[in-house]
Amino acid sequence: MTTGTAAKPALTAEEARLLHEASLRDYDIQAHPHDYYRAMRKGDRVHFDERLGSWLVSRHEDILSVQADPITFSVNMGYHTQQARGMREEFQAILERDGGGYFPDAIMSDPPYHTRIRKLMENAFTAHRVKELEPRIREEVVDLLEKVADRGAADAVTEIAVPLTIRVIVEQLGLDHGMEAQISRWSQAVVAQISSMQSRETMLENAKLICDLQNYLIGKMKEREKAPREDMISDIVHARIAMDDGTTETLTFAEAVSLVRALMIAGNDTTATAIGNLFLLLATRPEVAATLDACVEDDRRLTRFVEELLRVEPPVRALSRMTSREAVLGGTTIPAHAHMLLVYGSANDQDEVFPDPRKFDMDRHNLGRHVSFGGGVHRCVGLSLARMEVKVMAREIARRMADIKLAIAPGDIRYVPTVATRTIEHLPITFTRRQG
Amino acid sequence: MGNLTVIMTDVEGKVHRIGNLDEGRNLMETAKANGVAGIYGDCGGGCACATCHVYVDEQWWAKVGEPDDIEGAMLDMVADVQRPNSRLGCQIRMRPELDGLSVTVAPSSAA
Ligand code: HEM
Ligand code: FES
Repeated sequence: MTTGTAAKPALTAEEARLLHEASLRDYDIQAHPHDYYRAMRKGDRVHFDERLGSWLVSRHEDILSVQADPITFSVNMGYHTQQARGMREEFQAILERDGGGYFPDAIMSDPPYHTRIRKLMENAFTAHRVKELEPRIREEVVDLLEKVADRGAADAVTEIAVPLTIRVIVEQLGLDHGMEAQISRWSQAVVAQISSMQSRETMLENAKLICDLQNYLIGKMKEREKAPREDMISDIVHARIAMDDGTTETLTFAEAVSLVRALMIAGNDTTATAIGNLFLLLATRPEVAATLDACVEDDRRLTRFVEELLRVEPPVRALSRMTSREAVLGGTTIPAHAHMLLVYGSANDQDEVFPDPRKFDMDRHNLGRHVSFGGGVHRCVGLSLARMEVKVMAREIARRMADIKLAIAPGDIRYVPTVATRTIEHLPITFTRRQG
Repeated sequence: MGNLTVIMTDVEGKVHRIGNLDEGRNLMETAKANGVAGIYGDCGGGCACATCHVYVDEQWWAKVGEPDDIEGAMLDMVADVQRPNSRLGCQIRMRPELDGLSVTVAPSSAA
């Protein structure tokens, strides 16, 4: 205690036990993580989770430091070492043979390459452009809610949240309606490649699905190359930016394929998870339902409501980085080539940043400090679209549904077993239809 | 190369006088290209992150003008450091009437 650094606050016996024994690999921790997060923040802010083999960055200020140095803390290395772990060459050969090529994820990269890629995709996603999509998103939301409204019961995840986000991305990219189920299967195959949970058999099955996906996307992209339309595939295929030196930058076809594929995946589960969480809070916390009712016709307030929802229940729990050299973070030395997870869920729950963090308080004056969308150069590209989908959903729920209740015991809620997101699998609810 | 100038005081108090700007160039890009501390521009000018927040000097406010609703909602996310003369740098584009514009970079929202 004479090292000159501030003394660590004393841990409770339970917190000490968690630090010693628990792992983010454990399903129970994944499902109910807040005590583990707090133990790390208090007792071991940059914590090596042995069973996971990863350094967990738990504190808000340390996550900000990582985000500010995207070269030392590499997304490129963090992501690509996760892909098809141990079976990478075979996977790559299959895609080259049957899937039109192996297209490394251009967005999962580091500056300066990443800077160019980002610039070429950002135009499609500005808040002002997304605002123009609101009427179409509203139609989809209303259609889905009306299907269940008179029934008084639904699975909020599989019947509302998941179909909405797939419909929106199909429409925005300019894919074919009717393909939603197929696209959902393809998305799962891509996500499975980085889950580090694949056997060789599932890798082969998933590789086949990814080949089909790529062939489908390549077909669409070739069409849009010749005849552009008002959709994001056209935006990406024809993206160009003027550089300061007077030259023009475009994407290679391989980069474009990887970006279309990334957009198809990145916004689905995440946004669906956010909507699932919205239903959960409305069903289990009456004060949240009352807060929504009070702000539903005020766009500015509703925007705040959505932001606090994303803070209090962040869909993305933790994402990967890898150290490109030895680095000191929060007083801990992390070796070179170490795998790290930025635990966004923990940073959002830090009471020095967000007092009384479990409380739903949309009047927090520093709401924009949450890290649910990450931050720095890798901050979510699709954040305006995500906010819009959740906002329109919240508004239309409040206009149509009342007395939303869980149709299962809270203890029976199951989460998808993964470190990356905290996603409810099924959420059976009951409700009444609002009159008028 | 254009002939417009902007003066930015960064979060460390350093004054940057940036000239030869083209019409249409926004303040976030300009600040990043010139190492103005405190401007990050995470969302690339999409009006969706508020990491390009500036205070417009009073004598310029009328010419720069009020934020629209979308920008206003984003500024509301950093309410603790928002002021009546707050704007997002990525939403201010240079034009001849703004030649000589002077702004101060706002601090980040409190931890
Ligand atoms: C509520 C919904 C969403 C959440 C919570 C979310 C969260 C995130 C987070 C935390 C990151 C940072 C990644 C990192 O730190 O490495 C990210 C990046 C990204 N997101 Fe989202 N996202 C959402 C919706 C979307 C949507 C709708 C899209 C597109 C249609 C999208 C596309 C992307 C892409 C392409 C990146 C990579 C950006 C980069 O590395 O430069 N996201 N997202
Ligand atoms: S750069 Fe994100 S709001 Fe201006």
